[in-house]
Amino acid sequence: MAKRAITYLLSVIAGVAIGGISAMAMAGLLPTDRRTGGDIELNGWFGDFTMGSADADAYFRARIAKHGLLALANSETVYFTRATDDDGNALDEACNYRMSGGSMPARWWSVTLYNSDNFLPDNTDQALSFDATRAGDGEWSAIIASMKPDEENTNWISSKSAGDFDLTLRLYVPNDGVLTDPDGIIQAPSIKLLNCVEDRS
Amino acid sequence: MKRLFGPIIVCVIAAIASHLLVLQQAPSFIMDRALTMLEKRGIPLHGFLLAERMTPQTQSVVRPSPDLAYSACRFDLDQAPRGIRVRMAATPDYASLSFFDANTNNFLTLRGEGEARETILLPPGSTEPGEGSTVSPTKRGVILIRRLAPTQEAHDAVAAIATGDTCEAI
Repeated sequence: MAKRAITYLLSVIAGVAIGGISAMAMAGLLPTDRRTGGDIELNGWFGDFTMGSADADAYFRARIAKHGLLALANSETVYFTRATDDDGNALDEACNYRMSGGSMPARWWSVTLYNSDNFLPDNTDQALSFDATRAGDGEWSAIIASMKPDEENTNWISSKSAGDFDLTLRLYVPNDGVLTDPDGIIQAPSIKLLNCVEDRS
Repeated sequence: MKRLFGPIIVCVIAAIASHLLVLQQAPSFIMDRALTMLEKRGIPLHGFLLAERMTPQTQSVVRPSPDLAYSACRFDLDQAPRGIRVRMAATPDYASLSFFDANTNNFLTLRGEGEARETILLPPGSTEPGEGSTVSPTKRGVILIRRLAPTQEAHDAVAAIATGDTCEAI
């Protein structure tokens, strides 16, 4: 009788562990998970337009609670996150990149760099983002590097102390059509690898 | 094998239950921790506080934008049963007044459009809310004002504007 009770007790413990850990894994709540992810992909940028709203499913709501708490609903802002360059390699502090894009379909937009803990990396460069006020109209580009570029008047996002990092694109007050046809409306910025300080392999 | 049938069923039921429980409770658990952290950072209950300019040294919530100035107000409608009057002062550039419930949902956002925005936040279950008022889905939550401030000068200008913000129990 006691043996049978212990068997059932162990079954409950195993079930609770399996269910809890699987939920955390699927919702991105494990310590090793970091990206906001999403169902929409634009040129390597991932987003989900249910972010911040009650329409988000339970998995995505839990993921955003950890990785993007206090995100706005899509009528106000849409978010995309990218963790790889144009060749699909992980973005790395040891490498330099050129991010290029054009005008964005929003009243205001920005691209911000975050470390693997979802925070701004610990440096004092005051160059952790690039936004519409600096891009002006039309085509623009910015260098992503751990050291400020030598060239004058070069837009720069500092990756110093960022390690393995990602970028978040925010479109505030998105134009009509962004939510219904993001592929056709948004020209998501490209991230081209320029060089690496050390062998990436 | 027959003897294991019962324990396996129990294991599956326990797994499904704990899976759903974690998913359901995770957002409110994380929000509760965030509200506690905001309180420790000095964000008042029923009062706005403009945060310092977002930098690696001042950030407290994941993925802040260094181009925005954030003002936050915690609310607890148990302590304000008649509601909370919330006002965002007029801002020339982009500004929004957003409300988040205890489950992390952004249940209301008012865009500035260069003018002041105001609403009265009512407790859950309030019937017949008047014009210009909003019923909160949960008793606790946080109200956030975002204003465009990509430079220190712009943040200083926002600091002057933010003195006109209001978050107060009625």
